[in-house]
Amino acid sequence: MDALLSRFGGTAGAGPARDWRGVFPPVNLYESADAYMLTAELPGVEPDAIHVSLEGSTVTLHGERKIDYASREGASVHRRERQEGGFRRSFELPAAIDGDKVEAAHRNGVLMLRLPKSPEAQPRQIEVRAS
Amino acid sequence: MSDRQALEAREKQELGGETTRPGPVFRPDVDILEEAEHFAIYADLPGADDKSIDVRLDRGTLTLDARLASAPEERWTPLHAEYRLGSYHREFRIPEDIDAAGVSARMRNGVLELVLPKSAERRPRSVPVQAA
Repeated sequence: MDALLSRFGGTAGAGPARDWRGVFPPVNLYESADAYMLTAELPGVEPDAIHVSLEGSTVTLHGERKIDYASREGASVHRRERQEGGFRRSFELPAAIDGDKVEAAHRNGVLMLRLPKSPEAQPRQIEVRAS
Repeated sequence: MSDRQALEAREKQELGGETTRPGPVFRPDVDILEEAEHFAIYADLPGADDKSIDVRLDRGTLTLDARLASAPEERWTPLHAEYRLGSYHREFRIPEDIDAAGVSARMRNGVLELVLPKSAERRPRSVPVQAA
């Protein structure tokens, strides 16, 4: 299992810093004024088999997808397109995260992580007063 | 079997433009199993709304459709995208001797499990051997 650190943001364009094709799980990243949202397609992975950790502004997802047909006696597999195995991916977010307020939900086979920016990283409105 | 295989993601397979639905339509990855009394189909439908799942059986063709539960609200600006959002569609030719009334479907963690019972004539029967 290779650990892969994807850097988001950075300088050039919207593309990721490394080629992610074929890496499981595929993720999307969104930004709002006060938070990031990372979503990952993890169909067939039990919520308790998904581990999320945060270190600084680096989020790591790891876990395992299990598909157990072998234990089903007398079953023959006609078609096999879904894969099983372990996964581990790390992502460095463009700004600092408020680690105490991260929320994770797993719905319809999609993991949704809401990662609030730390107060220092949020945009601030500065009032301009006439002198 | 201590070495676990690292998972690789397959890019979603987009279907051609024959549909009238808005947005992309993907062909879900499936596994198909046959057991003594039924066939089972497992389809990866990440993000699909379980209430949108439509399974139809018509003259030996099983059609599966599903729509996306929701897309992020507009205040979320996409920064990076490795997968696309869309609906799902796939058709299967299935044996004719399926008990259509007994087909059942269940969603769990974004995977649809379809159980297609074989009709009574097709199930294996054990024939008791009597001593003469």
